[in-house]
Amino acid sequence: MVTEAVTTMDPAGLKAIGAGLAVGLTGIASALAEKDIGSAAIGAMAENESLFGKGLILTVIPETIVIFGLVVALLIR
Amino acid sequence: MQLLQKFKRGNSKKSHSKGHANYAYTTARVRAMKSKLLPKETYPRLMNMSIDEITRFIEESEYKEDVDELARQYEGVDLIEHALNRNLAETFTKLLNISDGDVNFLIGEKLKKYDIWNIKTILRGKYCNASTEEILDAIVAAGRLSYTCLSDLAAKATYEEVISELANTEYYPILKNYDGANLSEIENKLDKMYYTGLFAAVGGSKSKDRKLFEEFTRMGIDIKNLVTLFRLKKSGITDSESMDLMIEGGLKCKLKETERLMPLSFADFVSELENNPYWDVISDVVKPDMSSLIDIETRLKQHRLKSAASFSHVYPISIVPIMDYMLSKQNEISNLRIIIRGKAANLEDDVIKEQLVI
Repeated sequence: MVTEAVTTMDPAGLKAIGAGLAVGLTGIASALAEKDIGSAAIGAMAENESLFGKGLILTVIPETIVIFGLVVALLIR
Repeated sequence: MQLLQKFKRGNSKKSHSKGHANYAYTTARVRAMKSKLLPKETYPRLMNMSIDEITRFIEESEYKEDVDELARQYEGVDLIEHALNRNLAETFTKLLNISDGDVNFLIGEKLKKYDIWNIKTILRGKYCNASTEEILDAIVAAGRLSYTCLSDLAAKATYEEVISELANTEYYPILKNYDGANLSEIENKLDKMYYTGLFAAVGGSKSKDRKLFEEFTRMGIDIKNLVTLFRLKKSGITDSESMDLMIEGGLKCKLKETERLMPLSFADFVSELENNPYWDVISDVVKPDMSSLIDIETRLKQHRLKSAASFSHVYPISIVPIMDYMLSKQNEISNLRIIIRGKAANLEDDVIKEQLVI
Protein backbone atom coordinates (compact mmCIF):
# COMPACT_ATOMS: atom_id res chain seq x y z
CA MET A 1 0.00 0.00 0.00
CA VAL A 2 1.38 3.30 -1.02
CA THR A 3 0.81 6.28 1.18
CA GLU A 4 1.24 9.76 -0.12
CA ALA A 5 2.60 12.39 2.17
CA VAL A 6 0.75 15.64 1.64
CA THR A 7 2.65 18.73 2.62
CA THR A 8 0.80 21.99 2.92
CA MET A 9 2.26 25.33 3.76
CA ASP A 10 1.17 27.05 6.89
CA PRO A 11 -0.86 30.16 5.84
CA ALA A 12 0.89 32.06 8.60
CA GLY A 13 4.21 31.46 6.81
CA LEU A 14 2.86 32.81 3.51
CA LYS A 15 1.58 35.86 5.35
CA ALA A 16 5.00 36.40 6.89
CA ILE A 17 6.67 36.19 3.46
CA GLY A 18 4.13 38.69 2.07
CA ALA A 19 4.72 41.07 4.93
CA GLY A 20 8.47 40.74 4.50
CA LEU A 21 8.23 41.48 0.78
CA ALA A 22 5.97 44.49 1.42
CA VAL A 23 8.47 46.10 3.75
CA GLY A 24 11.61 44.98 1.92
CA LEU A 25 10.64 46.03 -1.60
CA THR A 26 9.19 49.36 -0.54
CA GLY A 27 12.34 49.96 1.50
CA ILE A 28 14.44 49.48 -1.64
CA ALA A 29 12.11 51.76 -3.61
CA SER A 30 12.41 54.50 -0.97
CA ALA A 31 16.16 54.17 -0.96
CA LEU A 32 16.37 54.55 -4.74
CA ALA A 33 14.14 57.61 -4.67
CA GLU A 34 15.92 59.21 -1.73
CA LYS A 35 19.39 58.66 -3.16
CA ASP A 36 19.09 61.32 -5.84
CA ILE A 37 16.96 63.71 -3.80
CA GLY A 38 19.39 63.50 -0.88
CA SER A 39 22.44 64.21 -3.01
CA ALA A 40 20.62 67.07 -4.77
CA ALA A 41 19.63 68.52 -1.39
CA ILE A 42 23.24 68.36 -0.20
CA GLY A 43 24.35 70.06 -3.41
CA ALA A 44 21.87 72.90 -2.99
CA MET A 45 22.75 73.24 0.70
CA ALA A 46 26.46 73.50 -0.10
CA GLU A 47 25.68 76.71 -1.98
CA ASN A 48 22.91 78.06 0.21
CA GLU A 49 22.62 76.91 3.81
CA SER A 50 19.13 78.30 4.25
CA LEU A 51 17.84 75.48 2.06
CA PHE A 52 18.46 72.97 4.87
CA GLY A 53 14.80 72.83 5.99
CA LYS A 54 13.39 72.42 2.49
CA GLY A 55 16.07 69.90 1.57
CA LEU A 56 15.33 67.79 4.63
CA ILE A 57 11.59 67.74 3.96
CA LEU A 58 12.01 66.87 0.28
CA THR A 59 14.51 64.14 1.13
CA VAL A 60 12.13 62.32 3.48
CA ILE A 61 9.05 62.54 1.23
CA PRO A 62 9.76 59.14 -0.45
CA GLU A 63 9.81 57.71 3.07
CA THR A 64 6.01 57.49 2.65
CA ILE A 65 6.52 54.56 0.28
CA VAL A 66 8.10 52.42 2.95
CA ILE A 67 5.53 53.58 5.48
CA PHE A 68 2.76 52.31 3.17
CA GLY A 69 4.70 49.05 2.92
CA LEU A 70 4.85 48.84 6.68
CA VAL A 71 1.11 49.51 6.96
CA VAL A 72 0.39 46.79 4.43
CA ALA A 73 2.67 44.41 6.33
CA LEU A 74 0.80 45.12 9.57
CA LEU A 75 -2.57 44.61 7.84
CA ILE A 76 -1.46 41.25 6.48
CA ARG A 77 -0.45 40.04 9.94
CA MET B 1 13.45 57.65 -16.43
CA GLN B 2 16.99 58.24 -15.18
CA LEU B 3 17.56 54.52 -14.81
CA LEU B 4 16.33 53.97 -18.34
CA GLN B 5 18.66 56.68 -19.64
CA LYS B 6 21.59 55.26 -17.72
CA PHE B 7 20.81 51.88 -19.24
CA LYS B 8 20.76 53.39 -22.71
CA ARG B 9 24.00 55.22 -22.07
CA GLY B 10 25.62 52.07 -20.81
CA ASN B 11 24.60 50.12 -23.90
CA SER B 12 25.89 52.67 -26.32
CA LYS B 13 29.12 51.50 -27.92
CA LYS B 14 30.62 54.92 -28.32
CA SER B 15 29.62 56.03 -24.87
CA HIS B 16 32.35 57.93 -23.07
CA SER B 17 30.84 57.19 -19.71
CA LYS B 18 33.49 57.58 -17.06
CA GLY B 19 31.95 55.75 -14.15
CA HIS B 20 29.43 57.02 -11.67
CA ALA B 21 27.92 60.40 -12.51
CA ASN B 22 26.45 62.63 -9.80
CA TYR B 23 23.93 64.44 -11.98
CA ALA B 24 21.47 65.15 -9.14
CA TYR B 25 24.12 66.71 -6.90
CA THR B 26 25.77 68.77 -9.63
CA THR B 27 22.59 70.10 -11.21
CA ALA B 28 21.04 71.07 -7.85
CA ARG B 29 24.25 72.84 -6.84
CA VAL B 30 24.50 74.57 -10.20
CA ARG B 31 20.89 75.74 -9.92
CA ALA B 32 21.67 77.19 -6.50
CA MET B 33 24.70 78.90 -8.08
CA LYS B 34 22.50 80.22 -10.87
CA SER B 35 20.17 81.81 -8.34
CA LYS B 36 23.14 83.90 -7.18
CA LEU B 37 23.69 85.44 -10.61
CA LEU B 38 22.72 89.10 -10.90
CA PRO B 39 19.03 89.53 -11.81
CA LYS B 40 18.33 91.42 -15.02
CA GLU B 41 16.90 94.40 -13.08
CA THR B 42 20.43 95.05 -11.79
CA TYR B 43 21.80 96.24 -15.15
CA PRO B 44 19.62 99.37 -15.51
CA ARG B 45 20.55 100.19 -11.91
CA LEU B 46 24.25 99.77 -12.69
CA MET B 47 23.85 102.01 -15.71
CA ASN B 48 22.78 104.85 -13.42
CA MET B 49 25.81 104.49 -11.15
CA SER B 50 29.21 106.10 -11.46
CA ILE B 51 32.35 103.96 -11.83
CA ASP B 52 33.12 104.18 -8.11
CA GLU B 53 29.62 103.05 -7.21
CA ILE B 54 29.78 100.15 -9.65
CA THR B 55 33.18 99.16 -8.27
CA ARG B 56 31.77 99.18 -4.74
CA PHE B 57 28.71 97.21 -5.89
CA ILE B 58 30.93 94.54 -7.45
CA GLU B 59 33.18 94.49 -4.38
CA GLU B 60 30.18 93.76 -2.19
CA SER B 61 28.73 91.06 -4.44
CA GLU B 62 29.82 87.50 -5.25
CA TYR B 63 33.09 88.89 -6.59
CA LYS B 64 34.29 90.18 -3.23
CA GLU B 65 36.89 87.48 -2.68
CA ASP B 66 38.39 87.97 -6.15
CA VAL B 67 38.57 91.74 -5.76
CA ASP B 68 40.25 91.37 -2.33
CA GLU B 69 42.72 88.88 -3.74
CA LEU B 70 43.79 91.07 -6.66
CA ALA B 71 43.56 94.48 -4.94
CA ARG B 72 47.31 94.53 -4.29
CA GLN B 73 48.26 94.08 -7.95
CA TYR B 74 45.71 96.13 -9.84
CA GLU B 75 43.49 99.12 -9.31
CA GLY B 76 40.41 100.80 -10.80
CA VAL B 77 38.82 99.31 -13.88
CA ASP B 78 41.68 96.87 -14.42
CA LEU B 79 41.10 95.46 -10.95
CA ILE B 80 37.42 94.80 -11.70
CA GLU B 81 38.19 93.24 -15.06
CA HIS B 82 40.80 90.89 -13.57
CA ALA B 83 38.50 90.07 -10.67
CA LEU B 84 35.74 89.14 -13.12
CA ASN B 85 38.08 86.92 -15.13
CA ARG B 86 39.40 85.31 -11.99
CA ASN B 87 35.87 84.64 -10.78
CA LEU B 88 34.97 83.03 -14.11
CA ALA B 89 38.02 80.77 -13.92
CA GLU B 90 37.29 79.87 -10.28
CA THR B 91 33.63 79.13 -11.00
CA PHE B 92 34.32 76.86 -13.94
CA THR B 93 37.13 75.07 -12.12
CA LYS B 94 34.68 74.59 -9.27
CA LEU B 95 32.23 72.96 -11.68
CA LEU B 96 34.97 70.53 -12.68
CA ASN B 97 35.77 69.82 -9.03
CA ILE B 98 32.22 69.19 -7.85
CA SER B 99 31.25 66.95 -10.75
CA ASP B 100 32.06 63.32 -11.17
CA GLY B 101 32.32 60.72 -13.94
CA ASP B 102 30.24 61.46 -16.99
CA VAL B 103 29.25 65.03 -16.00
CA ASN B 104 32.87 65.89 -15.28
CA PHE B 105 33.91 64.54 -18.66
CA LEU B 106 31.30 66.61 -20.53
CA ILE B 107 32.06 69.81 -18.59
CA GLY B 108 35.77 69.23 -19.27
CA GLU B 109 35.09 68.86 -23.00
CA LYS B 110 33.12 72.11 -22.98
CA LEU B 111 35.84 73.92 -21.02
CA LYS B 112 38.48 72.94 -23.55
CA LYS B 113 37.36 76.14 -25.21
CA TYR B 114 39.31 77.99 -22.53
CA ASP B 115 42.36 75.74 -22.88
CA ILE B 116 42.37 76.50 -26.59
CA TRP B 117 41.78 80.19 -25.88
CA ASN B 118 44.78 80.25 -23.53
CA ILE B 119 47.06 78.39 -25.92
CA LYS B 120 46.03 80.84 -28.65
CA THR B 121 46.70 83.79 -26.32
CA ILE B 122 50.18 82.50 -25.47
CA LEU B 123 51.02 81.89 -29.14
CA ARG B 124 49.72 85.33 -30.08
CA GLY B 125 51.75 86.83 -27.26
CA LYS B 126 54.90 85.12 -28.49
CA TYR B 127 54.08 86.19 -32.05
CA CYS B 128 54.08 89.88 -31.12
CA ASN B 129 56.84 89.58 -28.49
CA ALA B 130 54.64 90.44 -25.55
CA SER B 131 56.08 90.14 -22.06
CA THR B 132 55.13 87.25 -19.76
CA GLU B 133 53.07 89.61 -17.56
CA GLU B 134 51.13 90.92 -20.54
CA ILE B 135 50.31 87.36 -21.64
CA LEU B 136 49.32 86.33 -18.13
CA ASP B 137 46.96 89.31 -17.90
CA ALA B 138 44.96 87.94 -20.83
CA ILE B 139 44.79 84.36 -19.58
CA VAL B 140 41.58 82.90 -18.12
CA ALA B 141 42.53 79.57 -16.55
CA ALA B 142 39.03 78.09 -16.61
CA GLY B 143 39.86 74.83 -18.39
CA ARG B 144 41.78 71.72 -17.49
CA LEU B 145 45.16 73.43 -17.91
CA SER B 146 45.96 75.03 -14.56
CA TYR B 147 47.16 78.61 -14.09
CA THR B 148 50.57 77.35 -12.94
CA CYS B 149 50.94 75.26 -16.06
CA LEU B 150 49.86 78.16 -18.28
CA SER B 151 52.19 80.64 -16.57
CA ASP B 152 55.05 78.17 -17.13
CA LEU B 153 54.12 78.12 -20.80
CA ALA B 154 53.90 81.92 -20.97
CA ALA B 155 57.35 82.21 -19.41
CA LYS B 156 58.97 80.25 -22.27
CA ALA B 157 61.13 82.35 -24.54
CA THR B 158 59.93 81.19 -27.96
CA TYR B 159 56.87 79.58 -29.50
CA GLU B 160 58.86 76.43 -30.30
CA GLU B 161 59.46 75.86 -26.60
CA VAL B 162 55.77 76.42 -25.86
CA ILE B 163 54.76 73.86 -28.48
CA SER B 164 57.33 71.28 -27.38
CA GLU B 165 56.03 71.68 -23.82
CA LEU B 166 52.56 70.78 -25.10
CA ALA B 167 53.88 67.65 -26.88
CA ASN B 168 51.88 65.30 -24.67
CA THR B 169 48.58 67.04 -25.20
CA GLU B 170 45.94 66.40 -27.85
CA TYR B 171 46.65 69.83 -29.35
CA TYR B 172 50.16 68.86 -30.45
CA PRO B 173 49.25 67.31 -33.87
CA ILE B 174 47.87 70.72 -34.89
CA LEU B 175 50.41 72.88 -33.08
CA LYS B 176 53.42 71.12 -34.61
CA ASN B 177 52.47 72.58 -38.01
CA TYR B 178 52.90 76.12 -36.66
CA ASP B 179 55.83 77.78 -38.39
CA GLY B 180 55.65 81.23 -36.82
CA ALA B 181 53.58 82.77 -39.61
CA ASN B 182 50.40 80.71 -40.11
CA LEU B 183 48.84 81.64 -36.76
CA SER B 184 45.29 82.22 -38.04
CA GLU B 185 45.27 78.86 -39.83
CA ILE B 186 46.36 77.08 -36.64
CA GLU B 187 43.77 78.98 -34.61
CA ASN B 188 40.99 77.93 -36.98
CA LYS B 189 42.12 74.33 -36.81
CA LEU B 190 42.18 74.43 -33.00
CA ASP B 191 38.63 75.82 -32.93
CA LYS B 192 37.41 73.16 -35.31
CA MET B 193 39.13 70.52 -33.22
CA TYR B 194 37.22 71.76 -30.18
CA TYR B 195 33.88 71.21 -31.89
CA THR B 196 34.93 67.84 -33.31
CA GLY B 197 35.90 66.77 -29.79
CA LEU B 198 32.61 68.01 -28.39
CA PHE B 199 30.61 66.10 -30.99
CA ALA B 200 32.66 62.97 -30.41
CA ALA B 201 31.90 63.27 -26.69
CA VAL B 202 28.17 63.67 -27.25
CA GLY B 203 27.70 61.59 -30.38
CA GLY B 204 26.76 57.94 -30.34
CA SER B 205 24.63 58.25 -27.25
CA LYS B 206 20.94 57.62 -27.66
CA SER B 207 19.82 59.31 -24.48
CA LYS B 208 17.56 62.30 -25.02
CA ASP B 209 19.45 64.67 -22.74
CA ARG B 210 22.63 64.15 -24.76
CA LYS B 211 20.72 64.79 -27.95
CA LEU B 212 19.47 68.04 -26.45
CA PHE B 213 23.02 68.96 -25.50
CA GLU B 214 24.09 68.24 -29.05
CA GLU B 215 21.28 70.45 -30.34
CA PHE B 216 22.41 73.19 -27.95
CA THR B 217 25.99 72.94 -29.27
CA ARG B 218 24.83 72.90 -32.88
CA MET B 219 22.75 75.99 -32.33
CA GLY B 220 25.86 77.71 -30.93
CA ILE B 221 27.67 76.83 -34.17
CA ASP B 222 24.80 78.22 -36.26
CA ILE B 223 24.93 81.51 -34.41
CA LYS B 224 28.71 81.71 -34.59
CA ASN B 225 28.63 81.04 -38.35
CA LEU B 226 25.89 83.58 -38.90
CA VAL B 227 27.80 86.26 -36.98
CA THR B 228 30.98 85.47 -38.94
CA LEU B 229 29.02 85.65 -42.17
CA PHE B 230 27.54 89.02 -41.23
CA ARG B 231 30.97 90.38 -40.36
CA LEU B 232 32.48 89.07 -43.61
CA LYS B 233 29.65 90.53 -45.69
CA LYS B 234 29.84 93.84 -43.85
CA SER B 235 33.52 94.18 -44.64
CA GLY B 236 32.80 93.27 -48.27
CA ILE B 237 34.56 89.91 -48.39
CA THR B 238 33.07 87.61 -51.01
CA ASP B 239 36.01 85.28 -51.37
CA SER B 240 34.96 81.62 -51.25
CA GLU B 241 38.19 80.82 -49.38
CA SER B 242 36.56 82.38 -46.33
CA MET B 243 34.51 79.19 -46.04
CA ASP B 244 37.45 77.92 -43.98
CA LEU B 245 36.24 80.19 -41.20
CA MET B 246 32.90 78.41 -41.00
CA ILE B 247 32.39 75.60 -38.55
CA GLU B 248 30.73 72.39 -39.66
CA GLY B 249 27.82 70.80 -37.88
CA GLY B 250 25.24 73.57 -37.54
CA LEU B 251 21.69 72.74 -36.48
CA LYS B 252 19.51 74.63 -38.95
CA CYS B 253 21.96 76.37 -41.29
CA LYS B 254 23.74 73.93 -43.53
CA LEU B 255 27.21 74.70 -44.89
CA LYS B 256 25.94 74.44 -48.49
CA GLU B 257 23.51 77.26 -47.82
CA THR B 258 26.31 79.36 -46.29
CA GLU B 259 28.48 78.60 -49.33
CA ARG B 260 25.69 79.89 -51.57
CA LEU B 261 25.49 83.15 -49.58
CA MET B 262 29.25 83.70 -49.56
CA PRO B 263 29.71 85.43 -52.98
CA LEU B 264 26.77 87.84 -52.46
CA SER B 265 27.09 91.52 -51.61
CA PHE B 266 25.77 92.76 -48.25
CA ALA B 267 22.46 94.05 -49.69
CA ASP B 268 21.79 90.82 -51.62
CA PHE B 269 22.84 88.80 -48.60
CA VAL B 270 20.30 90.61 -46.40
CA SER B 271 17.47 90.07 -48.89
CA GLU B 272 18.36 86.36 -49.15
CA LEU B 273 18.30 86.05 -45.37
CA GLU B 274 14.50 85.95 -45.25
CA ASN B 275 14.65 82.20 -45.74
CA ASN B 276 17.11 81.81 -42.90
CA PRO B 277 15.80 79.88 -39.87
CA TYR B 278 16.95 82.69 -37.58
CA TRP B 279 15.21 85.41 -39.57
CA ASP B 280 12.47 85.79 -36.91
CA VAL B 281 15.10 86.62 -34.30
CA ILE B 282 16.87 89.33 -36.27
CA SER B 283 14.21 90.50 -38.76
CA ASP B 284 13.45 93.85 -37.11
CA VAL B 285 17.10 94.95 -36.78
CA VAL B 286 18.43 93.83 -40.18
CA LYS B 287 18.50 96.58 -42.79
CA PRO B 288 20.49 96.73 -46.02
CA ASP B 289 22.03 100.07 -44.97
CA MET B 290 22.83 99.24 -41.34
CA SER B 291 26.07 100.69 -40.02
CA SER B 292 26.71 98.46 -37.04
CA LEU B 293 26.24 94.74 -36.43
CA ILE B 294 25.94 95.09 -32.65
CA ASP B 295 22.14 94.81 -32.66
CA ILE B 296 22.24 91.58 -34.64
CA GLU B 297 24.92 90.01 -32.47
CA THR B 298 23.07 91.00 -29.30
CA ARG B 299 19.81 89.56 -30.62
CA LEU B 300 21.42 86.28 -31.58
CA LYS B 301 23.14 85.98 -28.20
CA GLN B 302 19.86 86.71 -26.46
CA HIS B 303 18.15 84.04 -28.52
CA ARG B 304 20.82 81.53 -27.56
CA LEU B 305 20.49 82.35 -23.86
CA LYS B 306 16.71 82.04 -24.02
CA SER B 307 16.83 78.70 -25.79
CA ALA B 308 19.44 77.42 -23.34
CA ALA B 309 17.13 78.34 -20.46
CA SER B 310 14.17 76.61 -22.06
CA PHE B 311 16.28 73.54 -22.96
CA SER B 312 17.36 73.29 -19.34
CA HIS B 313 13.76 72.86 -18.22
CA VAL B 314 13.19 69.91 -20.56
CA TYR B 315 15.74 67.67 -18.82
CA PRO B 316 16.35 69.16 -15.38
CA ILE B 317 18.71 66.41 -14.30
CA SER B 318 21.17 66.35 -17.17
CA ILE B 319 24.15 68.23 -18.56
CA VAL B 320 21.92 70.90 -20.16
CA PRO B 321 21.17 73.03 -17.03
CA ILE B 322 24.91 73.09 -16.33
CA MET B 323 25.63 74.39 -19.83
CA ASP B 324 22.86 76.94 -19.38
CA TYR B 325 24.51 78.14 -16.19
CA MET B 326 27.91 78.38 -17.88
CA LEU B 327 26.43 80.48 -20.66
CA SER B 328 24.59 82.76 -18.23
CA LYS B 329 27.71 83.23 -16.12
CA GLN B 330 29.80 84.14 -19.17
CA ASN B 331 27.11 86.57 -20.20
CA GLU B 332 26.96 88.20 -16.77
CA ILE B 333 30.70 88.72 -16.78
CA SER B 334 30.71 90.10 -20.30
CA ASN B 335 27.84 92.50 -19.39
CA LEU B 336 29.65 93.77 -16.30
CA ARG B 337 32.79 94.26 -18.37
CA ILE B 338 30.89 96.17 -21.02
CA ILE B 339 29.35 98.48 -18.42
CA ILE B 340 32.56 99.18 -16.53
CA ARG B 341 34.72 99.58 -19.65
CA GLY B 342 32.04 101.70 -21.33
CA LYS B 343 31.75 103.97 -18.31
CA ALA B 344 35.52 104.28 -18.09
CA ALA B 345 35.71 105.30 -21.75
CA ASN B 346 32.92 107.88 -21.19
CA LEU B 347 30.61 106.21 -23.70
CA GLU B 348 27.01 107.35 -23.77
CA ASP B 349 24.51 105.23 -21.86
CA ASP B 350 22.60 104.33 -25.01
CA VAL B 351 25.72 102.98 -26.68
CA ILE B 352 26.49 100.81 -23.64
CA LYS B 353 22.88 99.61 -23.40
CA GLU B 354 22.97 98.48 -27.04
CA GLN B 355 25.89 96.19 -26.26
CA LEU B 356 24.35 94.53 -23.23
CA VAL B 357 22.77 91.10 -23.62
CA ILE B 358 20.01 90.92 -21.03
